[in-house]
Amino acid sequence: MRVLIVEDDADVAATLKASLTADEHEVDLAVDGELGENMALNGAYDVIVLDRMLPKKLGVSVVRDLRQQGVSTPVLILSALHDEDHRVEGLNAGANDYLGKPFSTRELLARVRALWHGRGREPQTRLQVGDLEMDLLARVVKRGGKKLDLQPREFRLLEYLMRHAGQTVTRKMLLENVWDYHFDPQTNVIDVHISRLRAKIDRDFSQSLLHTVRGSGYRLEV
Amino acid sequence: MLAFVAALLLSIYFTTVGQLEAESDAAADGEFASLERVYSEGGMRELSQQTIARTAREGSMLYVLAESSGAVVAGDFQQLPSQPGDAAERLDFRFERPDEEGRIVRKRARGRVGRLLGGPILLVARDMSDDEAIADRITRALWTVAVLGLLLSVASGLIASWFASRRVETIANAALDVMAGDLTRRAPVRSDGDEFDGLAETINAMLDRIEQLMQATRSAGDAIAHDLRSPLTRFRQRLEAALEAPPNVEADREALRKAAEEADRLLEMFAGVLKLARVEASGNWTLQRIDATAILKDLAEFYEPAAEERQLGFQSSVEEGLTLRGEAGLFAQAASNLIENAMKYTPSGGRIEVRAWLRPDGRMEFNVLDDGPGIAPAERDRVLERFVRLEGARTSPGAGLGLSLVSAVARLHRGGLHLRDGLDAGGRRGLGAALVLPAEARP
Repeated sequence: MRVLIVEDDADVAATLKASLTADEHEVDLAVDGELGENMALNGAYDVIVLDRMLPKKLGVSVVRDLRQQGVSTPVLILSALHDEDHRVEGLNAGANDYLGKPFSTRELLARVRALWHGRGREPQTRLQVGDLEMDLLARVVKRGGKKLDLQPREFRLLEYLMRHAGQTVTRKMLLENVWDYHFDPQTNVIDVHISRLRAKIDRDFSQSLLHTVRGSGYRLEV
Repeated sequence: MLAFVAALLLSIYFTTVGQLEAESDAAADGEFASLERVYSEGGMRELSQQTIARTAREGSMLYVLAESSGAVVAGDFQQLPSQPGDAAERLDFRFERPDEEGRIVRKRARGRVGRLLGGPILLVARDMSDDEAIADRITRALWTVAVLGLLLSVASGLIASWFASRRVETIANAALDVMAGDLTRRAPVRSDGDEFDGLAETINAMLDRIEQLMQATRSAGDAIAHDLRSPLTRFRQRLEAALEAPPNVEADREALRKAAEEADRLLEMFAGVLKLARVEASGNWTLQRIDATAILKDLAEFYEPAAEERQLGFQSSVEEGLTLRGEAGLFAQAASNLIENAMKYTPSGGRIEVRAWLRPDGRMEFNVLDDGPGIAPAERDRVLERFVRLEGARTSPGAGLGLSLVSAVARLHRGGLHLRDGLDAGGRRGLGAALVLPAEARP
């Protein structure tokens, strides 16, 4: 996948580039907002990682102008200002995700991949991973044809995992997207929710679908 | 100012004099006309008799009747002050008269002089000295009043501005002392409640706030320095030990992993400090109507499984319809900090209760009660400060910012955080954390 990084801090940019390259992505680098916008307009990128505070043009303005010019490449905004206002401002401008600094490399890689997989997807009414099926209209989940009884929040958690099937999903991504919480719990509360869900979808079946990715998060796949 | 007053007085003087002259001219003209009539009806004889009679009368009118040659026939003067032309004309002249004490006094007169038909010259004038005296007196009185008034207003102005500058100076001195480093100095407030007291009170309130912020910054700085020193030292020791040990991939990777964890803890601590600072700078937030019931029910649902996993009894009762003006993210984080605190410090087998309700006084109260070890009453205020972690809490994770953040969020919402006893559990007092915030009226 081709990734454009727009970041003026040379150290951060180099680290990002190294991590993404190691993750087998092709990476280009822009050092200010104007250059970044031009490269985004002219290059075929799969994902753009954009710093919020950039020389010449702020990240938020870059996204807004790209969207106005019809560029729909998924954008992840990086920001030292991880506050609700700035997050909402970034998402309203057309960004697809927002990550506060400092972040772990794994978190970033997981999100970049999730953006790539999620791009241009048609709205779905049915999700399927192996023999696990979800009907989003009837709000019914079946595994191997057998109906599973899920709480509403468990349903949303499973929906998010199924939409990102095959990708690593971090605890932070789950917190933000399933619960809409933007703080870090000090307790293992996400793990407990996952293990409850796992008990419902995996316990009675020989093949496990919900895997723990050590140090990162979880992945749902066959 | 003085020039203006002088000009005003001069104009009053001349107006007065002009008025008096006009009146006197009118009187002289009337008298001239009446004598002219006497002459036209009774001739020279009658005129000279009338002139003699009128000259003898007490009054300020002066008369002179002369033959066409200018020789005076009768009147107040031995000769005419000037030789008139053919037409009657206005006359303004000076003459000398002895006063009561026999001194010669120069006086002024105004009137009309003219040749009557057939030659005789008639002069009718009015002695202006009385009028001038009146005008002088009026002007002098005005002068006195003006000068006195001016002196008085200048003096009172000087006094007022002296007082004002004294007051401003005391306030400025207080500000200078604060600038010089004495943060406890305040501007003096007198009891008369004037504008300067208002100013001094406002400045003092500002200085109070600055002092608070300075102290908070200072103690936060000290606390950060204190709290960061040991993890940073551990961090360095771990790296050093790994470098000195013989190369071993497994051990080195373990050391790196521990170092990364340590770095995460440090970063988390910094993030906590920054968040707290932003919450305390309350201007950054927009408060909106938020559904507290929904937020609290979601949180209870979120934490219940984790509490059960720790073998903690978890009960929640959240009243319907609780709304408040607030910032949803911060409110949720504050409530979650309280629940997590209870989960961290309550030993397994214990109980946690979460309650929220509307009090009769229009505030909503959110309680998290546990039956853990609790906090001694004397320590309760202290744990609300930044970075304060009580002995025994050092082993559990957390930067010691949780309760200070809750307290700051409560202040942002114009409420407070109170720590009390919690649930009774055979000797342990437990901890009851109460977040009390102003609620929005129920629709």
